[in-house]
Amino acid sequence: MLKKTFVAAAAALAATFAAGVAHAAPEKPECIAPAKPGGGFDLTCKLAQSALQDAKLLDAPMRVTYMPGGIGAVAYNTVIANRPAEGGTIVAYSGGSFLNLAIGKFGKYTEDDVRWLAAIGADYGAIIVRADSPFQSLKDLIEATRKDPGKVVFGAGGSVGSQDWMKSALIAREAGVDPKSMRYVAFEGGGEAITALMGGHVQAYSGDASEILGHMKGGRIKVLAILAQERLKGELADIPTAIEQGYNVDWTITRGFYMGPKVSDADYQWWVGAFEKLQATPEFDKLRTERGLFPYKLTGAELTENVKKEVARYKVLATELGLTAQ
Amino acid sequence: MSERIFGGILLIVSIAGIWIARGFEAPFSYEPVGPRAFPMLILALLGISAIALMLERKSDTAWASPAVLKRIGLLFLVVLAYAWLFDKLGFILATVLMVIPAARFFGANWTQAAAGGVGLGAGLFILFDRLLDVALPTGLWLGNILG
Amino acid sequence: MDGTFSLLMQGFAVAGTPENLMIALIGCFLGTVVGLLPGLGPINGVAILLPIAFAMKLPPESALILLCAVYAGCEYGGRISAILLNVPGDAGAVMTTMDGYPMAKKGLAGPALSMSAVASFCGALVATTGIVLFAPILAEWAIAFGPAEYFVLMVLALCCLGGLVGDSLPKAAIACLVGLLLSTVGIDSNSGVYRYTFDALHLQDGIPFIVIVIGLFAVSEVMLMLQHAHSGVEPMAITGRLMFNMKEFMLAKWTMLRCSLAGFFIGVLPGAGATIASAMCYASERRMAGKDHDFGNGDIRGVAAPEAANNSSANGSLVPMLTLGVPGSGTTAVMIGALTLYNITPGPTLFQEQPVIVWGLIASLFIANVMLLALNIPLIRVFVKFLSIPTWLLVPGVAAISMVGVYAVHGNTFDLILGTVIGGIGYLLRVMNFPIAPFILGFVLGDMMEQNLRRALSISDGEVGVLFASPISIGLWVGALAMLIGPRLFRLIEQRRHAAAEAAGTAG
Repeated sequence: MLKKTFVAAAAALAATFAAGVAHAAPEKPECIAPAKPGGGFDLTCKLAQSALQDAKLLDAPMRVTYMPGGIGAVAYNTVIANRPAEGGTIVAYSGGSFLNLAIGKFGKYTEDDVRWLAAIGADYGAIIVRADSPFQSLKDLIEATRKDPGKVVFGAGGSVGSQDWMKSALIAREAGVDPKSMRYVAFEGGGEAITALMGGHVQAYSGDASEILGHMKGGRIKVLAILAQERLKGELADIPTAIEQGYNVDWTITRGFYMGPKVSDADYQWWVGAFEKLQATPEFDKLRTERGLFPYKLTGAELTENVKKEVARYKVLATELGLTAQ
Repeated sequence: MSERIFGGILLIVSIAGIWIARGFEAPFSYEPVGPRAFPMLILALLGISAIALMLERKSDTAWASPAVLKRIGLLFLVVLAYAWLFDKLGFILATVLMVIPAARFFGANWTQAAAGGVGLGAGLFILFDRLLDVALPTGLWLGNILG
Repeated sequence: MDGTFSLLMQGFAVAGTPENLMIALIGCFLGTVVGLLPGLGPINGVAILLPIAFAMKLPPESALILLCAVYAGCEYGGRISAILLNVPGDAGAVMTTMDGYPMAKKGLAGPALSMSAVASFCGALVATTGIVLFAPILAEWAIAFGPAEYFVLMVLALCCLGGLVGDSLPKAAIACLVGLLLSTVGIDSNSGVYRYTFDALHLQDGIPFIVIVIGLFAVSEVMLMLQHAHSGVEPMAITGRLMFNMKEFMLAKWTMLRCSLAGFFIGVLPGAGATIASAMCYASERRMAGKDHDFGNGDIRGVAAPEAANNSSANGSLVPMLTLGVPGSGTTAVMIGALTLYNITPGPTLFQEQPVIVWGLIASLFIANVMLLALNIPLIRVFVKFLSIPTWLLVPGVAAISMVGVYAVHGNTFDLILGTVIGGIGYLLRVMNFPIAPFILGFVLGDMMEQNLRRALSISDGEVGVLFASPISIGLWVGALAMLIGPRLFRLIEQRRHAAAEAAGTAG
């Protein structure tokens, strides 16, 4: 604990110092969204883009470019192998990428091969059913799954082994059901999955807190639990967490940025400083909330340590759930 | 004849594809069908169609003359090199280098080809990179000049 | 009903202010340009403009009008390069090349462009009217489609394919199967297994559709053009006619209407989209035309069908976005992002909570489409000028623009090289007279067909009956059957009638 505080303090100090000597803003700022336009990665980049612009931290407007492939794998490898020293380039990541890093789906590189820059927001898992579902609490759902795993069909927006699947698998595990014998249907993206839930084609959907706000008002769905450590604020404050209901499942997906491994310390510190300044402003909070992200701040060394911890946790989970058995 | 050769290649591809598809096994799977069935079915049908193609007696393929085919092959290589050099040389230089030989293939003289190359390279760069905000590679050599 | 009408009028009041009209005009123009450029599509157009609209501090309704105008404009733009260059400007325009380009070759580029503009308008008009009248009911239709229904829809689409078989059945079958096979490349979205990726990271997400389109159309076209340049074929005849005539209109009018309606219903389904709608409509129109047609060689119905369908389906995909908050396509996903920026969450309550926005958006679709029609007809004169660009400049230009299109969305040269290689193979296929349409259709349908079948079967735990369980699936099966035997039956009846008439003739 002491060490962590010290590291954090040192990082913060280094950041202020770096910002203090007024290292010029990197040239040609660019944010790589490792997906097609329109997804969560794009949103993360756009958030940084507009926030940095509003706060006048960058002279040139930051560009958003797209590099889809393997939930970030293509961008990860391209940046490390071909563009490792670009001081102006930041790449969006999501906690979902950690899972793939942990089970070796990112090719030969590991979490030590890039410079983790900043986490700027978080999203939490959510367990959702149809409004007229026989399961009106997480307990109902879990008990029904325990009784007959064949009767409850889970659906989500990712394939087996993805972070969306993981949430369903963890619920099944709480019910004492081997994730191998639960019923799970993979859709392409949360949109398809939630449509299938509304149409009654699947019984439960393990999605994200950020995507359910609009749907909740419509009255077609009911959120049984948020998979966060504590209750969220704002409109989701009425929804109990899984932990409150006695099931130890929490699923936090952070979103943020990393940089190439050979980026100069000066550039790296400039970015860390920029994001720290940014995240201290109320304007940023507003922009982040508008994009459906919940507060979460970590930068520099603290983030790097956190990423390592998360990847290690996912490694354990993946083995427990039988993903890396072979 | 072309159809026979092509059918033969397809047959080999489908057999190889089925061979590879045998290895598609989920670590664990809930589904009754699995990831392997569909590709195998497609490949089996492809193999049958390839045999049917080889047995078909008619051919309506009209290849260009060898001299023209050679030029088409060269044009293909130019485009391939363009794709490969696209971000290494940067958009403008790569485009100039692609347009000049390509324009020559279509009967332009050297002046036209050079003017077309520079015009397209610079013009499209301005159109996309500057006006439409599609980031194009400037290439390392130009990075410092264009900013 | 009265309420709807007055709300719509309010919407027109919002969209009809001089500033908003100006914004719509800019959006239409930019959309047409982006749509016209191969590779760049509505997603890029909307993604490019979104930050600008936000930075300009446009009020939400103006920003949405801008986005809708760009969206509508792209759907018009895609057909232009499809007709003039045989390179579809966006995915929905792939089928427009089938007859549009042959028409241009015959010197009928003008009529093809004007007819497709009218067809686009018709499609958009039908779809927008559909949104006004039926949006809430259609939301139910969209969610009633589960995996089983999607699978049967894909079967129906494949049955339409019968209309696209050329001279050789094995060749058509191979084209379709290769398309289906390529659609399996990448991470299997059900089980997470890597299929045919050969350890290449870039193949994990599969082969992008745009890469296939650029390869099969742009790259192979460039090579074919060189071949034609040497065989001394005069590539383009010039007739100078810009507008379609009354006879052509009468021939295409029912096609347009049918395809507008069908496209709309397909567009409403999340995930199905403009490519599938236009392919199904094109193929079924071709089948229905019986013997008396010129499809594939420049039939005017061949441009009317896909254009009516892709526009109505593009507009139809706004229905799930507005009523369910579910993106019906990639572009609407970006638009949902845009709405979120303005703190508007699309969903079932949007119509009640934000009537100004919703009806302003719908009204702006009407306005944008009228503008686009008005803009496009006189512009045909300009577009046709493309054809007088000398080949030596046009061909490298097409190659460069296509590469930019791929690079814009994928940011790496792997996809450029892949597209070029596919283009090389495409050239060989085209020289050997393999039909391209079944290939494209197979590629588009393959993934949805397989994944939805597997989803349906895992929901039912292997019970095949699930595929015949709902009225919708049964209706679709009947449709598929009709597609298979319908034309044959039709021809049989025709023959009988013919024979009867002849018999009557000899008797009399």
